Amino acid sequence: MVRPAVAPDLVHRMAAVVGAEHCISDPADLLVYECDGLTHGRTTPALVVLPATTDEVARVVKLASEAGLPIVPRGAGTGLSGGARPVPGCVVVGLSRMTRVLGVDLENGTIRVEPGVINLDVSRTVQAGGYYYAPDPSSQGVCTVGGNVAENSGGAHCLKYGFTVNHVLAARVVLDGGEVVDLGGPALDPPGYDLLAVLVGSEGMLGIATEVTLRLLRKPEATRTFFATFPSTDEAGAAVSGIIAAGILPAAIEMMDRLAIAAARAATGLDWPDVGAALLMDADGATAEVEHVSRRAVEIARAAGALEIRIPRDEAERQLMWKGRKCAFAAMGRISPNYLVEDGVIPRSEIARVLRDIGRLAEEAGLRVANVFHAGDGNLHPLVLYDARAPGEEERAAALGREILRLCVRYGGSITGEHGVGAEKAAAMADMFGPDDLETMARVRWGFDPRGRFNPGKVFPTPRLCGERPGPYQPHPLELAGQAERW
Amino acid sequence: MVALGREGTPADAILGVVPREVVEPATLDEAAEVLAACARDGRAVAFVGGGTELELGAPPRRLDVLLRTARLARVVEHAPADQIAVVEAGLPLGELQRRLRPHRQRLALDPPLAERATVGGVVAANAYGPRRHRFGAARDLVVGMSFVRADGVLAKGGGKVVKNVAGFDVPRLLVGSLGTLALIGTVTFRLHPLPEADRTVLVPMLDAGGLRALAAALGQAQLEPSAAAALLTGDGFQLALRFEGFPPGVAEQAQRLFALCERLGHGVEPLEEEGARAFWARHNAARSGGALRARLTFPRTGLEPAERLALRPLLASLGGAAAAIYPTLGVAFASGEPADPGAAARAVTEARAALAAAGGSLVVGAAPAEVRARVDPWGPPPPGLSLMRRVKAQLDPEERLAPGRFVGGI
Ligand SMILES: Cc1cc2nc3c(=O)[nH]c(=O)nc-3n(C[C@H](O)[C@H](O)[C@H](O)COP(=O)(O)OP(=O)(O)OC[C@H]3O[C@@H](n4cnc5c(N)ncnc54)[C@H](O)[C@@H]3O)c2cc1C
Ligand SMILES: Cc1cc2nc3c(=O)[nH]c(=O)nc-3n(C[C@H](O)[C@H](O)[C@H](O)COP(=O)(O)OP(=O)(O)OC[C@H]3O[C@@H](n4cnc5c(N)ncnc54)[C@H](O)[C@@H]3O)c2cc1C
Repeated sequence: MVRPAVAPDLVHRMAAVVGAEHCISDPADLLVYECDGLTHGRTTPALVVLPATTDEVARVVKLASEAGLPIVPRGAGTGLSGGARPVPGCVVVGLSRMTRVLGVDLENGTIRVEPGVINLDVSRTVQAGGYYYAPDPSSQGVCTVGGNVAENSGGAHCLKYGFTVNHVLAARVVLDGGEVVDLGGPALDPPGYDLLAVLVGSEGMLGIATEVTLRLLRKPEATRTFFATFPSTDEAGAAVSGIIAAGILPAAIEMMDRLAIAAARAATGLDWPDVGAALLMDADGATAEVEHVSRRAVEIARAAGALEIRIPRDEAERQLMWKGRKCAFAAMGRISPNYLVEDGVIPRSEIARVLRDIGRLAEEAGLRVANVFHAGDGNLHPLVLYDARAPGEEERAAALGREILRLCVRYGGSITGEHGVGAEKAAAMADMFGPDDLETMARVRWGFDPRGRFNPGKVFPTPRLCGERPGPYQPHPLELAGQAERW
Repeated sequence: MVALGREGTPADAILGVVPREVVEPATLDEAAEVLAACARDGRAVAFVGGGTELELGAPPRRLDVLLRTARLARVVEHAPADQIAVVEAGLPLGELQRRLRPHRQRLALDPPLAERATVGGVVAANAYGPRRHRFGAARDLVVGMSFVRADGVLAKGGGKVVKNVAGFDVPRLLVGSLGTLALIGTVTFRLHPLPEADRTVLVPMLDAGGLRALAAALGQAQLEPSAAAALLTGDGFQLALRFEGFPPGVAEQAQRLFALCERLGHGVEPLEEEGARAFWARHNAARSGGALRARLTFPRTGLEPAERLALRPLLASLGGAAAAIYPTLGVAFASGEPADPGAAARAVTEARAALAAAGGSLVVGAAPAEVRARVDPWGPPPPGLSLMRRVKAQLDPEERLAPGRFVGGI
């Protein structure tokens, strides 16, 4: 990629704002910022700046605006849709130095943080008081609050407690030109449009969040977990539907199919049997309610055809079961040389049918697909297994992934439940939304960012450039380093 | 200009502004045609659902066409197993609940006047009731929408599944936008199961300090009510806590509340079905009666100053005053008859200043014209106003949708 030159004068002025050591223009140092968690797509930015305060962000944005350069905000770079991937000639504004906790108010159940604060550090900061921050992406040990806000991130426990958007109470945002605006506030429903709700999930395309106030929850009194095996995903899907139909709202309910169970077993040595499907469910809340609910859920699972129910004897055993679930992703390496991960959503009542359809599509493509996912809200993560050395297999895998997303849309679902659209799924947006729908979203964007300064080229479908292609899954460096696991 | 509907009458007025014409489209396509026709010749439009919330906001600067949603009242889809329903905007909330009940489900929104208020109006006004404590407000329960823009284009956002991050969240932007950005056509809601057990417990006598302290103690005691609402009774408050769920859980929670109140030295009174119904009816009356109604918000730890410096002085300016407080949310609703408009307007302004100091606000939900003449229903412009105007300008550049009704003259 040819790197458009930045005027040395601009580098100089940026450095004057953030300090020379936080203004990166050396080609070798820029390499780190070429991609996010989706490592096959890379673009070298023109410049990377690492401001430390809202004021510095505002000044940096103003300078970039005046120079007419695109701006790409960046948190930890763990995104899985190419959201933080640079665009040619852009200034990457990295928020990794903005890691201060600005205020904790346990009585009001809120915390105010800078965007570079790591998700898990929010919970760590308040755990002694019996509180936690609910949205729990599995990258929570490394991803940032700013990235979570931009992606409206979720996790296994979002079924009961909601996503990032349900937990952000206020944000300070730097807009194009360096204008600073406060959205939301310390009390509910400040008069006016709910622009905060639009900011959440806007994938860095409206502005840069430089302060975020989050809602904290009290830790639940009790948690009950069980693991159930089934002959096939049909019975497991029926169990999920039955549990929900009984009026139960589990904290989390996760499903694995035969391939995923096999991979988890291979990776962890867990004594999980060779069965068609398994469920792992958490119920949490006050003790009597939780015990009642988990007993009923177990009965429903049995009635739906469960082969075996395992209830952990203690917290250590519970953690082990969750480890099996969490590592199922990374464990794919044990059963396949390569794989790519999809993120689609379907109505949960259709799980069994969609999984059968996916199986059929996989057979037609001559490939295997493993499924390990958030069953309670129908958020599938099909893992398409392939061998990159076999000619044509990679292309077939990518095509199968796209076909699976179309299937999700046909069933009334979505092309992404938590990883975002970013650069990767911009084209697939057209499968879900018509031109008028997209144009309405674009208008909202123009309201915030009339010149399209922030993160251009993401989310909205444009004709694919030649040579651009959805690529295979490659492990994120963090996964290789054992710091994060993928669901 | 071709006539689009029947002639408007004083009964169709919004805050005294009589529309020239009134239309009641039967389908969304018809509604889109109406809006497209209005766009062609520059007519200003406002939308009306059940008409329970028309006093919220300022009078429209101009009003050519009033579009009533009464005939857009179908349940387009209800998928019980997926716990979602797609409904047209003009369906009354109470009717929706009746349709869901046989499936043992509900929409967990409980604003007053549910029999008349339409789902579109509830969403457009961001109306809610005490269950917001557990289930959130409209923004937390809306997963998708179709809408008609000012230019007559029918578009959609969100989806039919609860988990979905594809694209910008236009539906949440329309929540609370009071018909100034688009006509809400259909709404896709996340539903919740009807609880097997439902019990209300009353703490009959608390002062503001006791109310705040008890609300704070709920969390410490691992109490998880679905609703917490207090009603003004003379000098103090009666707090009702509602527990919903499975019978063993609800029984345990009530027991715990008794123990907590004993420890804190408060009396408690479990209410039988009849008593509970009566309490919640009184709560609804306190929220929907009175010629002047206001909603006060504050951080929940600031309940005492909000009561002393904002709520009480405001109530003192009203005859037959009533008030409801949601102590866990930091919201109070005041209502009554202003005897002296000047005094009531001054009380609103002073209450606003007191609340603003703590980051809260006061919105006038209804007021006689003499009070309106003296105070803006929304209060001083919020910090994001210029950004709000820019978003409005993108979606309704000619300012034809309920012009002047919203915050800052939007
Ligand atoms: C191993 C692994 C597991 C994962 N598991 C989950 C999961 O369970 N659930 C889930 O939802 N996601 C998951 N993800 C995806 C990813 O972690 C989340 O999307 C996360 O929120 C990204 O945070 P980040 O700080 O890395 O953001 P980045 O990747 O740096 O950026 C993501 C987007 O946010 C924008 N952005 C960043 N900071 C700001 C800011 N301050 N203001 C405005 N825009 C900003 C960027 O421009 C970009 O568009 C996983 C990723 C990995 C690698
Ligand atoms: C700040 C606030 C204070 C409140 N205070 C009270 C109170 O004191 N007492 C009380 O009983 N209730 C109160 N509520 C709740 C309210 O009464 C209702 O439950 C509900 O908002 C009204 O629904 P409706 O169908 O009658 O709407 P309507 O009164 O018909 O309409 C409400 C508003 O939404 C617009 N609108 C209606 N339908 C559409 C549509 N399809 N698309 C776009 N815009 C539309 C209208 O133009 C109007 O501005 C309050 C709500 C809020 C937000």
